[in-house]
Amino acid sequence: MSKLPIEIGRLLRSSLTGFVAGCRVNQPNLPAFGTLVRVPIHEKLDAFGLVYDIHMDDDGLVRQLVTSQTLPPEVIADNRNNRNMPSEISIVTIGRRQDGIISHLLPSHPPISLDVIYQCSNDEIRAFTTGGGFGYFRHILRNQELPAGELLTAHLEQARVAHRDGGDPNWFSNAVQELIILLRDDYPSLMSLLNALSDLPTE
Amino acid sequence: METPKSENKKYIGYVVGGNLKESLRVRLTVPAQSVQEGSFVVIRSGDWQFYGLITDLQLGSTDPRFADEPSRERLRPEVSSLLQGQTLYTTLEILPTLMMEVGPDTDSSAYREWVEKHGPINAQPIPVKTIPSHHADVMLAGAGDVAEIFGEESKRGNFRIGNTREQGHPVCIDLSKFIQRSSGIFGATGTGKSFLTRIILSGLIKAKLASLLIFDMHNEYGLDDTASDTRESVPGLRGKFPTDVRIVGLGRGATIRGHTPDFNLEFAESDLQPEDIELLTRELNLKETTPATLDALTACFGKDRWFTEFRALSPGSTILNDEGKRIPAPDSVETWALNNNVNTLAAASLHNKMSRLFHLPYIVQQPAANGLNEIIKALENCQNIVLSFGEHETDLDYLLVSNLLTRHIREKWVELTNTHRSHPEKTAEPRPLVIVLEEAHKLLNREMAGQTTFNTIARELRKYGVTLLVIDQRPSQIYDEVMSQLGSRICGWLGDDDDIHAVLSGLAGRDALRGMLARLQPKEEVILLGWGVPMPLIIRSRRYDNQFWKELLGKSGGKSDEAIIMKELGF
Repeated sequence: MSKLPIEIGRLLRSSLTGFVAGCRVNQPNLPAFGTLVRVPIHEKLDAFGLVYDIHMDDDGLVRQLVTSQTLPPEVIADNRNNRNMPSEISIVTIGRRQDGIISHLLPSHPPISLDVIYQCSNDEIRAFTTGGGFGYFRHILRNQELPAGELLTAHLEQARVAHRDGGDPNWFSNAVQELIILLRDDYPSLMSLLNALSDLPTE
Repeated sequence: METPKSENKKYIGYVVGGNLKESLRVRLTVPAQSVQEGSFVVIRSGDWQFYGLITDLQLGSTDPRFADEPSRERLRPEVSSLLQGQTLYTTLEILPTLMMEVGPDTDSSAYREWVEKHGPINAQPIPVKTIPSHHADVMLAGAGDVAEIFGEESKRGNFRIGNTREQGHPVCIDLSKFIQRSSGIFGATGTGKSFLTRIILSGLIKAKLASLLIFDMHNEYGLDDTASDTRESVPGLRGKFPTDVRIVGLGRGATIRGHTPDFNLEFAESDLQPEDIELLTRELNLKETTPATLDALTACFGKDRWFTEFRALSPGSTILNDEGKRIPAPDSVETWALNNNVNTLAAASLHNKMSRLFHLPYIVQQPAANGLNEIIKALENCQNIVLSFGEHETDLDYLLVSNLLTRHIREKWVELTNTHRSHPEKTAEPRPLVIVLEEAHKLLNREMAGQTTFNTIARELRKYGVTLLVIDQRPSQIYDEVMSQLGSRICGWLGDDDDIHAVLSGLAGRDALRGMLARLQPKEEVILLGWGVPMPLIIRSRRYDNQFWKELLGKSGGKSDEAIIMKELGF
C-alpha cells in the first residue's frame, strides 16, 4: 500500500531553474539537505528538484530575544510555534514529469506561488534517478552557486538507500562512475566530490 | 551487426585513433595484464574485419595528477577503484596488417540484403589499405580468425607450427608457399632453433612437397640424439621416416656416432674447380693473386686434372745444376710457375695453403662409388638426404663440401628444369628441392656470398624449384641481398640489435616489430615473418616430443612400424 505523499511546504518564489519553499521553523518533516522533492505545476506537469539550502532569516523579535539575559523555554517555544518568518528551503530544479514521462529537462513553466511541495517517495526517487540516465547531474554541476560536491553526496546517499531497497545495489557505483566521467577534466571538483563521498558511512 | 558478445572472442577495447602508416590506438577496457605485446587481434568496423598485432601498451590518464597521486590512500576503496577505472587507462598500439570484407552478422536481416547485393561471401584477406572507424570493437582473435588467416590444419600442405601465445589457437604455415622461396630460421644460441628446425623438417618430409638436402654440420638431424640441456632422447629424422630419409656420411668408412650411414660421399679430385677454392679465400687466408694462379693451373692442366697435378708438385724442391748451383727441381711448384708466367711466391703460397685440402680424406683420385650421383638420384626420387659431416666438423669441411655438392645439384636442377620446359609432355617437372644450411653466415656472409652457389640459389634458383632454408644465430652476418630474398622468416629470441635489424629488413612495420622480437621468451616463443606468412605473429612453437610425433605420424609416433620394418627387410 503506497503512503500518502509528504507535504513539506508551499512555494514562495520560483524560476525555471529553481524555487524556494517556505515552511514552519519547527516543522517535524523538514526535508533534509539533498532531498528530492516534487512540485505539481499543473495536472500534467511536475517539477523535480533537490534541496540545496535551508535558510532561516531573523526578525526583530528574535534579535531582541537573543540579547536578553534569561530566555524561558516557553518563550523559545512560542517564538518557534508562532513565528511569522518561515524557514526557506532552496531547491534546484533538475527535471520534470510531463504527461507521465520523466525526463531530466527543465519544466516548461515554473511552479506558482503557494504550490505545495512534496518530498519524493522511494518509488519516485528510483523512477526519477533511472529515467533518463544521469542527465540531471548537469543541472547541479553547471550551477556555480551550488555546493555541488556536498549536495551530490547527500543526494547519492539517499538515492542509494532507495535503490538498494528496490533491488539495485549497483546504482550508486554507476552514478559515481558517471560523475567521474563528467568531472574527470576538472581535477579539483572531482576530488572534492570523491573526498565527500569517501566520508559517507560505510554500509 | 555482430557484437563482441555474440562471438566466442574476448572483447578488449575500442579504437580511439591512429593512422595507417604507423599504428592504431585502442583504449583497453580489460586489465592490461590480460593482453600481451604481439597478441593477434581482430577489429570489426562496419562490413570489414581488420587483423593486427599489439605492438605496444601505454599507461595514460585523463589528467596527470590522477596518475601522480595514488587515490587509494585518500579515498574509500570502492570510490578509488571507480576513479581509477575512469581516469587511468591503458592504450594499445596495434599494427594493422590485413583486412577482409565479411559483411554484416550472418544472423541478421542486413546480411541477407548484403548477400543479395554483393553475392555470397568469398573474400580473402588483403593487405590493409584503410583503417577502422572510431570506437570500432577490438577483440582478441578467436580460433576461427586464426584459421581464417593462417589456414586450417586439416588442409593439405598446412602444417601446425605452434599455437597463439595467449589462447593457444593452432597456427599453421602453408608448406607449399614456404618452399616456393628461400626461408630462414633464426635465433640466438639456446633458443630452440634446432628443435624448431627438426619440427619444420619433419613437417616437410611428411607433406612430401619437396626433397630436402640437409647439411648436418653437427650431426643433429639424422640420428637420434640427446638434448644438451635436459639430457632427454631426441629422435632423429631417419628413425621416424626410415623410408624417406637417407643418411650420407662424408668420406670412406665414415660412421656417425658409431652408426653406419646409408652410403658414403667422396669427391673425385676432378670435381674440384677453381671457384670452389676461391670460396675458401677467408678460411685458407688466400691472397689476391690466387685467381690468377688458379687460372694458370686450369689453363696448364685442364679442368679435370689441375688439382691432381698441382698436388703432385713439390714446393721448394731443388736440384743442383751443372754449375753446382741449386735450382728449382723440374717437379717443383716454382718450375711450373716460371714456365707458366706465374709469380713463384704466389704459386708456392697457394700450394702451401691448399695443402689442407690435399690431405682431406674424402677427396680422392678415384671414389669407390659415385656418392654425388646417388645423392642427386635420391633427391630426384622424392627422398631426403641428411649429409652428416661425422668427424669432419671444421669450417673448411663445411664450406668446401656444401658448396661443392650444391654446385653440382644446382647444375642438375637447371638442366632438369630446362629439359622439362622444352618437352613438358615427355619429362616431369623436377621435384622442388630445399637445401638446408646450418651456420649459414659462414657461406653467405658479405665476403663469401658473391662467390658461393648459395647466393645464386637464393637469388635466382626459385624458378628452378631450388630454395634454401638457412638456419643461423647471427643473421646480421648474412649478406643483405640474401636476407632480402628470404620469403619466410621464423625467428626466436635475438639479443643483438644488428641481428634484429637484419631479420626485420625489408618488412613493413619493422619499427613496431623490433621491440616484440627483442622481448620474446628465450625458449619456444618465435615470431613468424615475411612473405610466406599472411601476417607477422608471435607463437608458442610446438614441442619436439612424443606428442608431436603422435600427432604427425599417428598413434605409433613412427616407432618401428612393423610393415615398414618388413618392407625394409625385403618382405
